[in-house]
Amino acid sequence: MDLRAGDSWGIIACLCTVLWHLPAVPALNRTGDPGPGPSIQKTYDLTRYLEHQLRTLAGTYLNYLGPPFNEPDFNPPRLGAETLPRATVNLEVWRSLNDKLRLTQNYEAYSHLLCHLRGLNRQAAAAELRRSLAHFCTSLQGLLGSIAGVMAALGYPLPQPLPGAEPAWAPGPAHSDFLQKMDDFWLLKELQTWLWRSAKDFNRLKKKMQPPAAAVTLHLEAHGF
Amino acid sequence: MAPLAALQATFLSALLFLGTDCGKALSEPSQLAPESLKVSINTSQQSLHVQWTVHGLAYDEELNMVFQIQISRMTTFNVIWVENYSTTVAWKQVLHWRWDSELPLECTTHFVRLRGMVVEEAGTPGPRPWSNWTSWEEVDAQKSLGPDWLFVFPEEKLVEEGSNVTICYVSRSHENNVSCSLESAPILGEQLSPNVSVITLNNVSFIRKTGTNFFCQMEQTHTVKGSVLFVSKVLEEPKGLSCETRDFKTLTCTWDPGTDTDLPNYRSQHYMLFEAFSGENKSCEHKDSCVWQVAPGSQETYNFTLVAENFFRKRSVNIAFDLAHRVRPMDPFSMSLKSVSATGATVTWKVHPVRDHFTHLCQVELHGEGKVIQHNVSVEKDGQRPFSELEPAMEYTARARCAAAEHFWKWSGWTGQDFRTLAAAPSEAPDVWRDVKSVLGSCNVTLFWKPLSKSHAHGEILFYNVAVESLHGPSGSKLFSIPAPAGGTEVALDGCSHRILVTANNSVGSSPAAMIVISGDPADKEAEEERVEPTEQGFSVSWKPPLEDVVGYVVDWCDRPEDAPCGLQWRRLGPNSTSAVIRSGAFRPGVRYHFRIYGISPQRRAFLLGKKTGYAQEEVPSDLPQVLVHNLTSHSFTLSWKDYATDSQPGFIRGYRVYLKSQAEQCQPEFQKTVLPDRSVGCQYEINDPEQKTLVMGDLQPESSYEFAVVPYTGAGEGALDAFTKVTMPDERSHVLIRIILPMVAGLVVIAILCYLKSRWMKEMCYPDIPDPYKSSVLSLLKPKEAAPLTIMSVNDCVPDALEVVKKPEGSKTPFPGARKAAPDTARIRPDYIYLLPTESSSGPCICFENLTYDQAAPNSGSCAHVLGPHEVPPSQLGLPTSAESLLKPLEQNYVNTPAEAPAGETTLNYVSQLASPVSGDKDLLPAKPPEPEPELCCEYRMQMALPLGLASPSLNESSNSSPTALLGQEYHG
Repeated sequence: MDLRAGDSWGIIACLCTVLWHLPAVPALNRTGDPGPGPSIQKTYDLTRYLEHQLRTLAGTYLNYLGPPFNEPDFNPPRLGAETLPRATVNLEVWRSLNDKLRLTQNYEAYSHLLCHLRGLNRQAAAAELRRSLAHFCTSLQGLLGSIAGVMAALGYPLPQPLPGAEPAWAPGPAHSDFLQKMDDFWLLKELQTWLWRSAKDFNRLKKKMQPPAAAVTLHLEAHGF
Repeated sequence: MAPLAALQATFLSALLFLGTDCGKALSEPSQLAPESLKVSINTSQQSLHVQWTVHGLAYDEELNMVFQIQISRMTTFNVIWVENYSTTVAWKQVLHWRWDSELPLECTTHFVRLRGMVVEEAGTPGPRPWSNWTSWEEVDAQKSLGPDWLFVFPEEKLVEEGSNVTICYVSRSHENNVSCSLESAPILGEQLSPNVSVITLNNVSFIRKTGTNFFCQMEQTHTVKGSVLFVSKVLEEPKGLSCETRDFKTLTCTWDPGTDTDLPNYRSQHYMLFEAFSGENKSCEHKDSCVWQVAPGSQETYNFTLVAENFFRKRSVNIAFDLAHRVRPMDPFSMSLKSVSATGATVTWKVHPVRDHFTHLCQVELHGEGKVIQHNVSVEKDGQRPFSELEPAMEYTARARCAAAEHFWKWSGWTGQDFRTLAAAPSEAPDVWRDVKSVLGSCNVTLFWKPLSKSHAHGEILFYNVAVESLHGPSGSKLFSIPAPAGGTEVALDGCSHRILVTANNSVGSSPAAMIVISGDPADKEAEEERVEPTEQGFSVSWKPPLEDVVGYVVDWCDRPEDAPCGLQWRRLGPNSTSAVIRSGAFRPGVRYHFRIYGISPQRRAFLLGKKTGYAQEEVPSDLPQVLVHNLTSHSFTLSWKDYATDSQPGFIRGYRVYLKSQAEQCQPEFQKTVLPDRSVGCQYEINDPEQKTLVMGDLQPESSYEFAVVPYTGAGEGALDAFTKVTMPDERSHVLIRIILPMVAGLVVIAILCYLKSRWMKEMCYPDIPDPYKSSVLSLLKPKEAAPLTIMSVNDCVPDALEVVKKPEGSKTPFPGARKAAPDTARIRPDYIYLLPTESSSGPCICFENLTYDQAAPNSGSCAHVLGPHEVPPSQLGLPTSAESLLKPLEQNYVNTPAEAPAGETTLNYVSQLASPVSGDKDLLPAKPPEPEPELCCEYRMQMALPLGLASPSLNESSNSSPTALLGQEYHG
């Protein structure tokens, strides 16, 4: 390529223009609002923590229910747990979710699951188990607040609250005790799957919110210039 | 066919007749037959609810009837239950009856029918007949089941522990592919119908409060259905029912409910209290207690029945009592102490009023120093009790509790108060002992005393007074005050005869004085230390009573004998004692303790009676002796470990075991064969005398290796056999050789010394640096027959083989004159260099030392003069100046002949040097091909001659390439 003197001046002028506009690039503006990145990271961390916490809690609770619910290969059909939000979704569908929908689904799911979990807490007869469930409910409430914070930072509205404050989860004539135990089993299992999915969701969001690598490179070059 | 038809017609006619007759007979009761039979299912209770009415009753008529009810299962022929139900029936009354099914009603179809009969009453004639059966009423719960493939019934059930439970599953699949489990255990059912199986669980037990899980799985559809059996424990009868009042206002009944039978979803265990005299009852809030309100001033006697009830059982216990006999007063209060002195105090307290004229029996206790003083006091309102004979300055706890004085039932709780009596002067002298060290007529006394016990100190000891009085010197005493909590002091006495008084003092006064007398006499005669064996109780020390009068004995010892201070302890014993068991928590295994026994004279002078030593527990020796080997011969050696300290071992050394190992594994006669810790076989010799610290090992094989170890042993066993020391026995002839070799070596050394001392003479005699023709004896040896005088050999005797004349041009001068330039010395003729030249004829026996440094002072030989000029330094000297110079110096001193010394006729030739040694130059400077070695005979001086220049030139040219000069030049330049 044949560069003439005029071309060199043009490149320098272009670089100067880029440098002039660098402070306006949000990803490079270190002194301003950090954006939703840190809160997404915190939400991700909280999700992983809850995943760990639930592992212990579920073990204790399923032992409390007795066999076959505490057996590792027990996988009953999902009969009475239709009211629970499903975490499993087609991979393509999951990939195609936009940020707003992704966060909304998470928020709604945990709102439902938290209500069901509180019902579980009321039924538990063992005091120690009730304490563990109450502690987990508090942590899950924190996760819900954290997701709400991320949505607010991204400018997304929160979904409408649930029509009923509490789900019909108390044992009644429609539920035999065995079905009730099945529901408890599915609640814990679904919660576990949701936490796993949420970790993936927030990890994806986290990567998406990171500043582009090219801009960083340019920024460093500008400092070295 | 005709007869058959006729028979048939006859049978039917008979039937019709009978039917008509019977119909007439039952026409009247049939008016009271049950009708409108309805059967329903209560699935939660698994019961059939049967209802019907009785037709034919008058408007105001009431009859006692009995109904016989039949229940069939699956088919009407399979009657499983028949029951007579008696009741009073009124006009248009709907009757109800319930039947609880053991088998879940959903499992199969049930049929119900009934008939009725009026119960005969007094005055009515004859029995009434049964009414007709109602038609079978079918109940089929399966019709209402949903569309699922699999059902398990009952869905949940509360049962009592130990009962039997029947479960069934209904499968809508034609294949028998349903498997069921109770908890995790597979369980098989009994087929009731093609799609219904029944499982009976016998004697169910309680597993957990969330129920026992029973579930079935269908393989194709992966359907899981189950039920939860809530197993309740069996309700127990309340135990230990007891009621009491504290204030005549409320009665509190308590009991032990036993096992809790409640389950989270099935809470039914509750308790009721019935009072028979008043007819009142109360539902109890707790499972183990109930509070009953006492009606004021009315009822004195109560008869309570406690009823425990749950879903399955009801149990009751009864108790009757007089209220005044069940009074447990409230705890006393406002306890205080009055008039507290050193030995007395008065305890006061108050009681809660119960009712008028109620007398309390109160128990007052005083606790102090492990003692309890107890008194009972009758109290109506305020209690008071003086205590005397208390210990001064002592902590006491006063406490009181009360009960009903008239009808004792139970004590109230305790109410207490701590207090301390006032201080008083110490009541006893301190226990004082001493350790005396005499130094040149004076004594250093270390006093020790034990702190007074609380019961004797009567208050906090503030200081100790020590008064020292001389027994023989002028009267008067020295007083020392030692602040507490010191346990002793040191006193230096001028002369040993002193009396020492020690008193303990508190804030109130002084204790009696403890007196000891230090005697100047050497009464502590040295006694031999005896061993004392420990027992389980401690060291049992005994002694013989002395002839002198004694007022007691003292045994002292050190708790930490290896430390300083050693923690001196002592124990006082009465005058009649002759033994004592010394025990101490400080005694440790493996430590040697020394006990001294003193008698105390009436003058309080202590004299030593004996010494004992022992170990609380002996241990094996901690270290092994360092064994030395002496007197090693081919057949024996001596072991010695004289430095081994037996007294500092953790046990009394009882002896030694000497272990010997050899390849032959043969033991000497006095040794015993034994297996060593490393499982090898060795020999053992035991020495029972701890003071024998040598051992001669004899009868050993020469040239053999032996390994030995010496291990001491104590009462606890022998020390660790760690390592053996190896000894190799010498050869039998070696000492003979040594006898020969040693003198030889000594002789050689003497010769060497002599040679060294006479080296100069030897050198001159045998190998002078430069043989002096006049002195050399070699020449005389070579030519013994020639007549004297032995002078310079004749030139004619030696035929020159070669002549070398070195020509050195100016330009080839060495560039190191500055470093090696010798000062011009015209007064002395200096040798330049000497070449060692091989003879041309290699077969010739000789080499010739040719001195080319004769200064042929021909004025016309300018080039030669230049070459041989005294100021030129040859290359060899440049290369190795030190060796060359050192070589040249003696030459200059000894062998440079001055012209005056030169013999007549040789004045034209100046003898400079006759270098005879072939090693005169450095080895490095030798040519690559050194001259062939010459026989010794060739060490001869061949010639010193002056050669005309013309004769020398050809030789110079020939040797120019092979001469050392050329090589050196090459080497140098290279």
